[in-house]
Amino acid sequence: MAETYGVGIGWRPEIAGFVEGLPGLRFAEVVAESVHAHGELPTGLQVLLDRGVTVIPHGVRLSLGGAEPVEEARVEHLAAVAERLNAPLVSEHIAFVRAGGIEAGHLLPLPRTREAVDAVVANVRRVQAAVPVPIALEPIAALFDWPDDELTEAQFLTEILDRSGAQLLLDVANVYANARNRGTDPADLLDHLPLDRVAYVHVAGGAEHQGLYHDTHTDAVPQPVLDLVTALCERHRPPALMLERDGDYPPAAALAGELDAIARASGYPAVT
Amino acid sequence: MSTPSLGDRQAALVEALTAGRPVPEGFDAFRFEAARVALLRKRAGEVARHWPMLATSLGDRWKHEFATWAAARPTRGSLRDGWDLARERSRHGALAPVAAVELAEREAAWRYDGTSGPRSRRTPTLGTASGAVAVQVAGRVWLLRRP
Repeated sequence: MAETYGVGIGWRPEIAGFVEGLPGLRFAEVVAESVHAHGELPTGLQVLLDRGVTVIPHGVRLSLGGAEPVEEARVEHLAAVAERLNAPLVSEHIAFVRAGGIEAGHLLPLPRTREAVDAVVANVRRVQAAVPVPIALEPIAALFDWPDDELTEAQFLTEILDRSGAQLLLDVANVYANARNRGTDPADLLDHLPLDRVAYVHVAGGAEHQGLYHDTHTDAVPQPVLDLVTALCERHRPPALMLERDGDYPPAAALAGELDAIARASGYPAVT
Repeated sequence: MSTPSLGDRQAALVEALTAGRPVPEGFDAFRFEAARVALLRKRAGEVARHWPMLATSLGDRWKHEFATWAAARPTRGSLRDGWDLARERSRHGALAPVAAVELAEREAAWRYDGTSGPRSRRTPTLGTASGAVAVQVAGRVWLLRRP
């Protein structure tokens, strides 16, 4: 995104009132599949648009990393939602969510192979042929890796971005989760990604179970993730960062506190 | 022997995660299992949002009961997953009264044949489940009898 938006939040119906009440909010994200292509928009979302808040549709079901071509109806829906929201950008994941006719119900990691790069790039091109605005791709958090990776994570992501022309939606909580679970340094990945291609950033909470860190989006944002926001902004501050919360919503004061913490960590003004 | 395609390997992985098939060779079994359990927990939360009374009626046991039922059943969407589970519990006489009311109201409002997505009913219909009876007329639903 060319403009600077500062701190935003993932719009969800459960917290629509809270989001609507944020005086400094300039951007938000909405799950693309939760928005009707035609028909009325949810009230809280329409209020944001009327106020001039930029709202980005964030797809979760396209399955860009699936070996099969992305389904046309899903791409058309994303295009229609982008148009309805007058969005400057759409986003999706570097992941697959179904295969062999079965829905996984979750974002699943790809093997870091050239074959997988080809699959993602082909699908991103199909999306870009139908969606008139740029797409930003989000690397996911994964609890397991495939056994036969040919590329490092940075090589895999950079190759996808270079060949598809897509921008990067960097989720620092995913970077943190993956590094912690693999025993690597999260800052190392930041040093090897094209940070000038970051359209915006996700920040979210998680929790540890049985020695593995889970990117839950239902827990508070831990300090190391905020520290990673700071480390990222020291290298190249992205135009926008947003809180992603998907359940177990805390009281408004706690949610506002999380937004303020992201503002402090990134050096952007508070929106609360 | 040729290497299986990306599509075949993705399908095997999804089957292992959702349909009780064995973990594909070479994957870390502990981590794969952690992902499988996390996925079931996430599905339980999503189904609870669509079927709040079904989830509430099971209290602390909800996540466990759902995960046991769903372990070898890939999702067909949270609405249908909850519906299938509620009907199964109803058949076994294991549906609490509040959950029976919830199911009866849904049965009255929607036609769901268990194989394709639920559709709104256009004609007045009675919905019943475990002693609960609801009626739908012109899109409105009234509860006629509590279990």
